[in-house]
Amino acid sequence: MDAPHVVGGPAPAVPGRAALEVSPLPGRSGIRARGEISALTRPSWEQALSELARQHASVSYVELSDVAFVDVAGVTALAVTAMNLPDGRVVVENPPPQLPRVLEMFWPGLDRIEVAL
Amino acid sequence: MSTVTTHEAFVHPALFYRTEQEYTQQTVAFLREGLTNGEPMAVAVPGPNLELIKAGLGGDAKGILFLDMTEAGRNPGRIIPKVLRGFADAHPKGRVRIIGEPIWAGRSAVEYPACAQHEALINAAFEGRAVTILCPYDEVRLDPQVIADARVTHPTLISGDGRESVSDVYNWQAVVSRYNQELPTVPDAAAFSYGGEDLPAVRHFAVAQAMRLGLAGERLMDVELAVAELTTNSVVHGGGRGTLAIWAEQGQLVCEVRDAGRLTDPLAGRRPPEHGQLGGRGLMLVHYVADLVRVHTGDDGTTVRFYLSL
Repeated sequence: MDAPHVVGGPAPAVPGRAALEVSPLPGRSGIRARGEISALTRPSWEQALSELARQHASVSYVELSDVAFVDVAGVTALAVTAMNLPDGRVVVENPPPQLPRVLEMFWPGLDRIEVAL
Repeated sequence: MSTVTTHEAFVHPALFYRTEQEYTQQTVAFLREGLTNGEPMAVAVPGPNLELIKAGLGGDAKGILFLDMTEAGRNPGRIIPKVLRGFADAHPKGRVRIIGEPIWAGRSAVEYPACAQHEALINAAFEGRAVTILCPYDEVRLDPQVIADARVTHPTLISGDGRESVSDVYNWQAVVSRYNQELPTVPDAAAFSYGGEDLPAVRHFAVAQAMRLGLAGERLMDVELAVAELTTNSVVHGGGRGTLAIWAEQGQLVCEVRDAGRLTDPLAGRRPPEHGQLGGRGLMLVHYVADLVRVHTGDDGTTVRFYLSL
């Protein structure tokens, strides 16, 4: 996670083609993602989350203001990552609207994740 | 009704009522029996019938969960995961007792096949579990075919005066197959054929079309999520590609995904996953957000249609 990595084909992305770029969050513990989180970008998202879990101490941040879409499996990966942390929580900043919708549907009241809009 | 108890793990009787009085008498007797046994209880029936039961129970209604089935179970496909297992799983110790009335006189011809399949699949979903689910049927206002199907989907039958019998035609699998009806292509629908590379494009296409057809707000996001699940499923399990079609009919938006896959698990999308389980939520999300889901699956492929009121 030292350098941004791109999945989904050569950059610049072909229109309609999915890409996800994940980089460390400057100055804070966590990650920033750009693109979309879906089947086509799944490996990159899951790899970023396991790295986040590995480095986690009390609070980790996931900045998603440049993510236009996240699917159910993408939210699931985040929820499961947060549930498996030994302590603390994950703060998700500016997520696409699907994220709170899916969290509420399948993990209502999950206090390991805080959504900051 | 005193024998509808614990000799079998899962108990699933149909109650055929002809009058409000029969309805109230039998449902209240069923609930009072549960009260005596100390069982957690839920009642999910259409609004007016909720009122009949509450009035009949009086002070005994306290502690029972009441849900309007025309909302909680608008889409029959979400009744098993959300209403029935939702309640049963929250009370894992001892027997739970539920009244579920998923079929009422206003159900449309498009909804009914999914309703009948739902009633059949309850038997598979709760096999071996200490759960009692009583399903009332309005014998006066429902079509005779609906009453005939209820005798096939329920192992036990109860008449309006409380007489109980064993169904001699019980065979839930037959109802699942009978209502696995073909869903012919709609010629005037907007359509998009996709492969793996087109997943974002087909999603955007669906949202644009849904907007054009008059869908707005949060439901556009639901379309995007549901289409993502169904089209990804085509790419991963359904032969790598598929066709999405979208149109409006009778005040509803209809979105259809057709691919070469075959759905072999009849409970797919109705089995709530464990909290920390990774997969198994895609089709369930479609059931949760839609007002109706119709499925046809066979050797030639699978078609899933979901409906949202406009």
